[in-house]
Parts: sequence; structure tokens; C-alpha cells
Amino acid sequence: MSNQINFGIDLGTTNSLIARFQNGAVEIFKNPFGQKETLPSVVAFRKDRIIVGDKARELIEKDPENVFSSFKRKMGTSESFFVPNTSDFKTPVELSALVLRELKNFIYTGEKPEAVIITIPASFDTIQSNATKKAGNDAGFSEVLLLQEPIAASLAFANKQANATSLQGQWLVYDLGGGTFDVALVKIVDGEMRVTDHEGDNYLGGVDFDIAIIEQLVTPALQQQHTLPDLLTEMRSARGKYNTLYHILLKKAEEVKVQLTASPSAEMEFEITDATGQPHDIYLTITREQFETVIYDRIQYSVDLVKKIIDRNHLTAADIKEVVMIGGSTYIPMVKTLVAAQLGIPVNCSVDPTTAVAAGAAWYAGTKTITQSNPAASKPLAAGMPDIRFKTAYQKNTADKEEYFTAIVTGPVAGLSYRIVRADGGYDSGIKPLQERISEMLLLAENTSNVFNILVFDAAHNELAVQAPVIAISQGKFNIHGQPLPNDICIEIDDLENNTTKLELIFEKNAILPLRKTIIKEVMKTILRTSQDSLLINVLEGSRYAIPGSCVPLGMIEIKSTDLITDLVKGSDVEITLQISESRDLSVRAVLLMNEQEFSEVFNPMVRKINTGKLLDDIRQLRLNASEKIKSFRRSQQYELAATVQDIMVDLDHISNRLELLSTDDVTDEKYQLEEKKRKLAQHLDSTGKDQLIVEITELYFKRKEYCLYNIREEEDSARMIRFEKIIADESACLSSQSYYAIKAKIDELNDLCWEIRRNKPETWINAYYYYANVSTDDYTDPQTAARFKEIGEKALERKNYEELKVAVNQLYNLMPDTKKETDQLKGTGIG
Amino acid sequence: MDPLSTLHIRIINQVFELDKKTSAKPELLSLQRNIDRIKQHFEEAGYTILNPLGEPYRETRVDYEASITGEMSPDMEIVNVIKPVVYYTNGGQKSILQKGVVIAAAK
Repeated sequence: MSNQINFGIDLGTTNSLIARFQNGAVEIFKNPFGQKETLPSVVAFRKDRIIVGDKARELIEKDPENVFSSFKRKMGTSESFFVPNTSDFKTPVELSALVLRELKNFIYTGEKPEAVIITIPASFDTIQSNATKKAGNDAGFSEVLLLQEPIAASLAFANKQANATSLQGQWLVYDLGGGTFDVALVKIVDGEMRVTDHEGDNYLGGVDFDIAIIEQLVTPALQQQHTLPDLLTEMRSARGKYNTLYHILLKKAEEVKVQLTASPSAEMEFEITDATGQPHDIYLTITREQFETVIYDRIQYSVDLVKKIIDRNHLTAADIKEVVMIGGSTYIPMVKTLVAAQLGIPVNCSVDPTTAVAAGAAWYAGTKTITQSNPAASKPLAAGMPDIRFKTAYQKNTADKEEYFTAIVTGPVAGLSYRIVRADGGYDSGIKPLQERISEMLLLAENTSNVFNILVFDAAHNELAVQAPVIAISQGKFNIHGQPLPNDICIEIDDLENNTTKLELIFEKNAILPLRKTIIKEVMKTILRTSQDSLLINVLEGSRYAIPGSCVPLGMIEIKSTDLITDLVKGSDVEITLQISESRDLSVRAVLLMNEQEFSEVFNPMVRKINTGKLLDDIRQLRLNASEKIKSFRRSQQYELAATVQDIMVDLDHISNRLELLSTDDVTDEKYQLEEKKRKLAQHLDSTGKDQLIVEITELYFKRKEYCLYNIREEEDSARMIRFEKIIADESACLSSQSYYAIKAKIDELNDLCWEIRRNKPETWINAYYYYANVSTDDYTDPQTAARFKEIGEKALERKNYEELKVAVNQLYNLMPDTKKETDQLKGTGIG
Repeated sequence: MDPLSTLHIRIINQVFELDKKTSAKPELLSLQRNIDRIKQHFEEAGYTILNPLGEPYRETRVDYEASITGEMSPDMEIVNVIKPVVYYTNGGQKSILQKGVVIAAAK
């Protein structure tokens, strides 16, 4: 274990931070609630709990009697604050200790530092310094070393640089934060870094700039455009008509300020209702120039304070090496330029101004050795641990957004405190005294499993390793009304490559109802309004690996050519939204994005709809599939299987004949019976000889895998090797699924990867060119153009111009007759 | 935050603004589908976007920062959402990526 202090804390007036030095680098810890590095130095005392940080800051204005901020200014004074909610007095030291304890929670590594460096302003006298030290001790740090903020900042800058040349001569540290301004003159005296003079203003910072934007830019602009009497007063008054707007504008102004650091102008957008009750959308452009005009005086004032130090110390600009800029407000470009221009001293902005002090404190901590060894503090979780036990009661599954939790606590609880936090960082109970019975309303994240941890602390806020149970509550997802899907729900899409249709999974088996999903599919064929064609959105229930014909149809929307308001072009998108309610109603909505036409229908699972045309098409596809299988079985001399399939074909023909005889408005059950029969036959066909098919496709998969690996190795392409490994990662699951389509999909992925490699190789294009060059020119759809491209290709080959050769090959490919088109009998769904 | 997440958050915030506008203005309703789709794409990529508008204000809820307008009351609700709450789930681990920025007021 390291014997260095390593931990540094910037205990700021407005915000505080904690950092750690490790292995030559500094890490700034983040708040587990919201991942921010800064913790507002604000403490709120509610009736039953203590809140520190962001949530406490929310309450400053509204409950000032119980919420405390800027108490750092009172450190070392005899002043104490009365807290009405607890009928108790709190000193600045106690409040600071609460902030320091909260910072300990940022340490995600589980370390419990017993020593720490805490920074103090250059202006702090001995009493104030000792008060800070006491706060550190009260927060559970047995050893506290203090470091002046300008020194800490200087260390952060010095460590950023390759050599420590900047640590020579003297320099200024200009610190303009959220609410305070400080400047310090730092130099090396007798080999030691010292603050030799300082100045400051406790009421100058970034918040003033936000207010200036609202009061000097936004308000006049609004009053120019609209009738808004007493706007500023109405905004600033707690009961004013525009008080809500004022809070919105404060947030927006802060955003504008940040944007203006990088852009010459920023937009501000909000709504306002005028005196007549008329709402207006406001778009204001605020330029950096305007912003600089309204903050100029304040920045000038800060520069004047710097000049005061320089004059007071009888220095000139040449005597000062640089001005080190820290504090969030130094991001503002004018601050840097004004300081540099007016002082004539180079400014140094090389370190994050928000974290510089904490980082510097950690650098320093990395060099300091722990002198006091406190075994009790370093091993707070060992012997002597109070035997605290919890008997909890809460509902583990709920549909509510919050859940009541209660526990009976046994053991010596006096003087201990606890806090309940949600693992995703969305809930924090605040610090509460541990009692024999505790209770809490826990806020839940929706549709997920919520995990809460109970943390128990001793009086010094050291976390105790008591046997606290984990609270796990499932919200929404395991609603008692929810029921799982018994089968996959899929839609049927075209598989043009194999001249058939296939299933695409929408909702997985065992997903909990209700469910909703939107997908985008491509229209696979042009549908003219004058044609007899249609687009089918067919929702099926069954295994995603089965063939579509074997699944139970749940609902289908047929978009006929006559329903279209414009022709539908191949390649346009259709947005399909499927929703299944808890009572299993299926809603299908399809939007043709090309013309914004919408079709929707709700299917009740009790009412099955059969489309005779689709049924006939299914049978045609099954017949094709069957005849292919018969051929294949005969080739492999599996005559028994061929005979089985032959029987299936006969039955299919029988169904087809019956269907042809049905009138379009047939009211009997026959089409349902025929659909049922077809499904059974499809399942039978699918399973007949499936084993053989799987063997073949599996063999193909391994060949393709080997070929792909060979190509990648030859190219020594590590990025593609990673992708290859990703593709084959779930190989065993894929192969054991025994699904033809799943294995085929893997092969397609490998093919794509192979093609990416091969298309960059000249020989790929040379071989392809020879192939197309050998096709008789007369066989191309346009022989004249084909001859021209053959010639272009020939010349490109001679000149070894492979880019040109690629063009020629692509053109020749496009001129090849579309043989697929001729044999294509697939009516399909028209989507894919 | 890595640059890609920052970009995602910026887009999410803009989409959220669009969403607010279309909800308020019936004439913009035709945009809603596209907005929903963008939100869905983000959700599929692991983001959970929450709009706490109208929900009761809770001081124990730490995934948003609230400004309280008007008088304090024990019964307050979120009356305006400037930025949505964004969580990100990575490797089964869910954490806050952006705290919401909201305005709370007495009901």
C-alpha cells in the first residue's frame, strides 16, 4: 500500500472537487450521481435528512433558512447558523465537514483515505486555516495538510509541462470562478514556492455574467418586440408572473455563455406570453461582441485588482513570467485577451481551469508521505465493527413509480447514519440518522430492475462494512398483468436471392407484453397505381427459424395499387410499427415514407384474416421449394424422402385447386381450414430432409470461414480480424440453432467481409474483367455499349489503371441480362 | 465524456426540443413520427431518454437539477424541462449520462 497521501481536495466557496495521484497521473473523481466532477459546496437540512451538493443547491433560494452555501467565507469566525428544521446550530466547520464527507463518496475505488491535502485561499489566516483542518478531521481524515490554492494551481500547470522551467521567477494566478475572484502573486523564495501577495472579490464570478445576459441583453430585446410591462421586476420577484421564465433564462444564459466561448454567436430560444395573453416563440441571437460589452466592466475590475498587486509590489510586466488562468470563467475568450492585452504579460491556459486546484493538490499529495499512522482509520472495516442487522420489507415487483421501503434495524445504532442509493445513480436518500426503524419512499427507474444499496456510516462518516442487504425492486417489466409471448413474432419479407420469402424477428419469444417496435423496410418492387400489384405486411407467429408458410398468421395489411395516392417506387422506405397489447391485440401501422400515406389496422387474435391471393402465392412458393427438394433428394438417391415430398406436392395442389374455386366473398370456414392445412404441409416440408440441408449449409459455412480467414491473414489486417472474430463469436449457438437461415446469414456476413478485402485487390478486378470480356458482346443487353466498355477495360488493363478497370467491370455487369428477372415467379410481400 | 457521446447528447437535446414543439403545435404533428423514430434509434443504441414533465418534484431524485420557481411547497411538480434526463446502458450497467435540467413549481 502506498505511503503517500495521494488525495487532494479543492474545498471551494462555490464548488468542491476531489482528486487522486496515482502512477504519475492525476484523476479527478466524479460524483456517482450524475458523473459531474464538481460538487456544489451547499448543505441543505431537510426535516429528516441532510442533502449535500446539487440537490441542496436547488433549494438555496427557496429555503434559505435551512440551506447553507458560501460558508467558506465564514471559516474561522465564531458565527454559527441556526437550522430551524433541526432546531440546531451549525458552524462553518461542521458544514465544510459535510461537504468533505460527501466528496469521499466520489472515490469509486473503495479506498478510505486517512490523510488528505485540502486547499485554502491565499487570504486565509491561521485561524481560518486551522478551522479548515478541523473540518477535515471531523470528516474522518486523521491527517490534514493544507495547501494554498494559487500554489496548487501553479503545481498543476508546472506538472503539465515537460520541464519545470515555468517554476522560475514570479507569476500571477488569476482565479475567476463561479462566484468569486482571486489573484495571487507567486514566486520561488529560497527554493520554495510562496504566495507573496493576493487580492480578491468574494462577489464576482460567472453567475454575474449570466445575469448580465438576461438583464442587459434579453430583457431589452423582449421589451422592444412585445408588450411586457415591468418584465424585469416580474422575473426577479418570487411571486412574479415571469419568475419561472427567469429560472429558464438563467439556465439558457449559462448555455449561451458556454457556446460563446467557441462560437462568435449563440441562439437563445424560449417561449413567452405577453400582457395580452398571446404566446410568442422567441429566437434571440446573442453575439460574442454583445456579451463582451455587458461583462466588460466586471472583467476590467478584475484586471484592475491585478494591476493593484503589480503596482503595490513595484513590479513591471517584464518582471512577471506569466499569468496562470484558473476558474471556469476564464474560458471566456475576452477574459484571456483583456488580461494579456492590459497587463502585457503572456497568459497560460494549458490546464483545465475548473479542476486545476484539485489536480495541483493531488500532485502535491503524491509527494507527501503520511506521517500519522492510524490503524483504526485505515482499517475501519475490521475488528470492533458494530453488529448491525436489517430486517427489510418492501414489494419486489411493482407497477408504481415509487415504492415504500421499511426495515427494522437491530444493533447499536446510536450515532450512526445511513443513506440509500440507487445503483444507476438516479436516487439518493441523503444522509439520515440510523434508527431502530427506518423507512423511505424509493424512486424507481421504469421498466427495469432497480438495485439499491444501504450504506451505513459512523460518526466520522466512515463507511462501515455492516451486513446491509441489497434492495432489488422490478418496476413495470414484471408487472403482474404482464405475460410473456409464447412464440416469436415475425414479419415476412422477400428473399430475392433465393427467390422466396423469409422471416424477420420483431418480438422475441418470452418478451413481456405490452410490446412496441418500429422498423424501416425497403420496398422491393415498383408498384404502379395502374397495376394489379400489392404490398403485404404479414405478421406471423412461430419460430423465427422456420419457413414463413409454417407459421400462424396473426394479421396482414395489404396495400393495393388502387389504394396508393402515388406510384410506389422500388427502394423507397416503409415504416412499420407493430404493437401488441397486454390482451394480445396486434396493431400494425405502415407508413409509406415516399408519399406519407398511412395504413393501419388492429387485429384481434380471435379473428383471423386470410388473404386468398397470399395463400395461393404461399402454395406456389412451397411447390417450388418442394420440387427443388425432390430433385435434390433424387440426386442424392434419397428416394423415400423424394416420395414424401411428392405427396406433399399433391396435397398442395389439392389446396390450390380448392382455393381457386372459392369466391372472393366466400363466407364459409373453408379458407381457414385450407390455410391450416397449408401450414401443416409447410411444416412437414420444412422438416423433411432438413438434416441434410443443414449438413450442406454447415459445410459451406466452414469453407467460407476458412477462405475469409485466409484473406485476412494474407492482408495482415488486424481491424478486419477483430470483425471476423466478432462474426464467428456466436458460431456454436448459430450452428446448434439448426436454422438454415441463421447459418446462411453468417455466411453472408463472412462474404461481405471477404469482398471488402478482395475489392481492394487488382487481381479481383482483372479476373472479373476477363470473365465479362469472355461473354459474347451480343449477349449483353446493349452490345454497342458493352463493346465500348470492353475496349475501355482492355486499355485500362494495359495501363494498369485499376480504378478505370473497376468502372468498366461495373458497367459490363450492369449490361448483363437480368436472368433472375426472367425466372422470377415470386410475388412475395414486396418488402425486404 | 467521449466526443461521440457528447455529439449524441447534443442531438438528443435538439430532438427533445423538437419533440416539445411538435407536442405543443398540432400543425407540426406530421414531424412526430420522424422524431419518435430518431428517439427510438437512440434507445436501441442504449440510451434511455426521460422527460419528467408533470411528475412530482422529489429532492431525492438526483438525475435532474431543478430550479424552483415561486413559493416552496411540499407538493411541487416539474413544470418545464429544459434538458431531458439521459441514461446510458453499457454491458448491462446503466448510468446517468446527462442530468436533466428542469423547473419545478407548486401544483
